[in-house]
Amino acid sequence: MTATPVLWVAIITVATRLAAVAFLPPPEGRLAQVVARLPAPLFGALAAYSLLGSGGEVDVPMLVGVGCAVLATRSRSLLVVLAAGIGGFLLADLVW
Amino acid sequence: MSLRTSSRELATASVSVGAAITVFGAVYGATAAPLLGGRLTLVSSVLVFSGAAQFTMVALAANGAGTAAILGAVTLLGLRHLPLGALVRQRITSGRGRRAFLSWFLVDETASLSISLGHPAERTLLISGVVAYLAWLGGTAVGVAGVSVAAVEPLAEVLFPVLFVGLAALTAADRDDVLRAVGAALATGAVIWLWPQAGAPAAVAMALGMAVPRRRR
Repeated sequence: MTATPVLWVAIITVATRLAAVAFLPPPEGRLAQVVARLPAPLFGALAAYSLLGSGGEVDVPMLVGVGCAVLATRSRSLLVVLAAGIGGFLLADLVW
Repeated sequence: MSLRTSSRELATASVSVGAAITVFGAVYGATAAPLLGGRLTLVSSVLVFSGAAQFTMVALAANGAGTAAILGAVTLLGLRHLPLGALVRQRITSGRGRRAFLSWFLVDETASLSISLGHPAERTLLISGVVAYLAWLGGTAVGVAGVSVAAVEPLAEVLFPVLFVGLAALTAADRDDVLRAVGAALATGAVIWLWPQAGAPAAVAMALGMAVPRRRR
């Protein structure tokens, strides 16, 4: 991966922060609803995409790891979810 | 009750946030370095300072997503700065120039502290932001340095979906959010299973589709 996409990611991230704090009024109406609802489904979609990869195939230990992570979401702790997911993956990788 | 946040309260909160951010920074550094190289990984943390955006960028690139899909996903992620920034802005009395400077430190954690710890929000955002930024850079450096020591590659593949599951859970405020996250995941899975070439744009499109509220009749 080259530096160009990284630079654009930086520009987009900095620009949205700048706009939000220094220039733009708060979003209203339907746009506000979409913005408020976006993070959770976006991360859910990205979880599915990164699990399946570009080939559309599923690795069993990875499925187990993700399953353990899902179970750990009740803790509402990102560290616990990471630990559960990685632990489940390592265990399944040993067994499978 | 005084509305001023005591220095000790602010320091405790900032250090706690900084410790967690250091860990995530190390995870990012270790997983991004094989793809970006150590130097570009460090530069990305210096310039972007956003775990969500950086992890998304690396995860999509690792799965073969093109630049357009990466930037599309990062742009959608960046939209969450709008309501966060609006909430923080309500509590800041400074002029536009200082607000522009403070906007650099607007991440989920520092925004939450600025909103919850009371006045003055400028001080909270600045101090917690500096701590968070140094923690992120330090963690990234640790992760990059550790790549040659630990065999992280097998873990890197499972780390991204697990991380996104965790982020989805953290950002789901209620049951409807959970259902939207699950729905987006299932829809993305179905599309990619049927049409693997759909890739990252499919994920972004499914997420956007779930986020748009249905018009009431």
